[in-house]
Amino acid sequence: MLPPAASSSDRPAIEAVDLVRTYRTHTGVIRRHRLDVPAVRGISFEVRGGELFGLLGPNGAGKTTTIKMLITLLLPTDGTARVMGHDVVKETNEVRKRIGYVFGGDRGLYDRVSGLDNLRYFAELYGVDPAEQKRRIAALLEMVGLTGREQEKVEGYSRGMRQRLHVARGLLHDPEVVFLDEPSIGLDPVGARELRLTIKSLVDAGKTVLLTTHYMFEADALCDRIAVINDGRIVAMGTGASLKEAVANRTIIEIETFGVSAESIAALRADPDVVEVNMEERDQSQILLVQSETGTAITQRLLAKLGETRIGKVVGREPTLEDAYVHLIASTSSAEGAARAALVG
Amino acid sequence: MSATRTVRLVWFVTWFNVRMLLASEFFILTTFITPLIFASLAFLLFESGGRQGGQTLMYVALGTGMMGVWSTTLFGCGGAIAWQRWEGTLELLVNAPSRYDFILAGQTMGAVVLGFYGIVATLVWGVVLFGMPLEATFPLILPLSLFAAVVSLGSLGMLIATTFVLYRHANALGNLLEYPIWLIAGLLVPIATLPVWVRPLSWLLAPTWGMEAIRGAATGTEPPLLAIAMCFGLAVVYYVLARVMLVVVLDKARRDATLALQ
Repeated sequence: MLPPAASSSDRPAIEAVDLVRTYRTHTGVIRRHRLDVPAVRGISFEVRGGELFGLLGPNGAGKTTTIKMLITLLLPTDGTARVMGHDVVKETNEVRKRIGYVFGGDRGLYDRVSGLDNLRYFAELYGVDPAEQKRRIAALLEMVGLTGREQEKVEGYSRGMRQRLHVARGLLHDPEVVFLDEPSIGLDPVGARELRLTIKSLVDAGKTVLLTTHYMFEADALCDRIAVINDGRIVAMGTGASLKEAVANRTIIEIETFGVSAESIAALRADPDVVEVNMEERDQSQILLVQSETGTAITQRLLAKLGETRIGKVVGREPTLEDAYVHLIASTSSAEGAARAALVG
Repeated sequence: MSATRTVRLVWFVTWFNVRMLLASEFFILTTFITPLIFASLAFLLFESGGRQGGQTLMYVALGTGMMGVWSTTLFGCGGAIAWQRWEGTLELLVNAPSRYDFILAGQTMGAVVLGFYGIVATLVWGVVLFGMPLEATFPLILPLSLFAAVVSLGSLGMLIATTFVLYRHANALGNLLEYPIWLIAGLLVPIATLPVWVRPLSWLLAPTWGMEAIRGAATGTEPPLLAIAMCFGLAVVYYVLARVMLVVVLDKARRDATLALQ
């Protein structure tokens, strides 16, 4: 491993201070108008060495932009960030030597050659000692469960295999800090579980991991601490348990409905004992998630307010991290964002 | 990075890019078939114009071969970067701890080396179908001429490739540069026949000197050593310009977030 920039052992592995990133785009063909789109609006956080830190937020919240600034792919519009004590703007090469990163999805691999060729190529680019390459690649293939498949062309890999190859690629040069940007996106449940085990093993090996995800259970199961990001801002930060405390005194009443009207939902929201109502669309039904601070005693009253709406299952339960997340997102979004968050749940 | 590591890196990237390009059917068609079509057309045109003889045939074969090399250089550099952008690997290469100019040099060299197949193919084509005598006036200098041409075209390709890194639609520039360079660099028509004001432009181009170096060694019509020296000199100038451009281009790409755009 490379030495950190400073001798202080309590220096955070990742440090972001008031990071801002604005994208500039244009509209119109003949009369072009410049448009500045803020993606990250001043976020600050620290990740300690050996910690698994989660950035949790909906699509478009600014998670990937934040990671891209930290891995030196994007310049911040404002603010500063350091990784292992090195500035991500001024000391890009020092940062790059110390980090590995994995983006979710199908892209980022050479499809027309084998998985082994991909790893050998990136091992060269990442400056892995030639004498070390063979052993390192074999160990990583074993770790991600691709031993025996490495000679096959990547174009024939399943999505899970590609994702595991991504992880192996990101670890080739034994980085101290690993950035994982929605690594389990699109994976089947078994593939996602295997990937989570791999991520846990990284932390066991002493690496610092920054993980972005929009899967609450994934963040809850893996992360030491979580920052909830929405609309380019961090709206809450803490352990999974501390985030749940935001809704700890609430009860969730789940009501399955078929064809519920906007008026009925408005009637629920108007109830003095109801704190929040969110809706999840299913194939044929809608699940109303009613948050209340007075327990399930109000259930009959709520059902009466739904009038003629056809009702399915009704369940009362304790709040989860997902409820806390929905509450945080809905309460911090713009009007448009709140509507979207309420619909996607 | 040590010199050994640098050479190894450039060699490895060159080899990898050759493999990647050979995996593309479109590239194979462009590189392997097109020079033969160019050569056939040119042989027949010269023949119908009453220009015959071993020297003429050799002039045509080398010229059409070089046309293929230039096309492959443009396609290999631009196409490879466009394809990497599409596959999402461009960000990984640019963001690797290794210097990106070495990576780009290796990628460009891969394309140019493959392109030189065109010269071999058109020579064989000329011998087999048109009875061209295969002989070189300076056989010992010819390999040096070929090497000088590879290096200078590679450096020019690298300079052009810097724009491909920044702009996702730079392929249009690549296409635009194909035919004019054939003409200006004197690949099929002697530069002396071009308007006087075009000639300084020709002298700035690697294909001009690469062509002169190879033709000079093969046919003895021009002294090859000056052209060889110009190839190496231009290669240094192109490389320095490419490095400066890369600093600007990569900074702009990080500022404008263009690397991931398809």
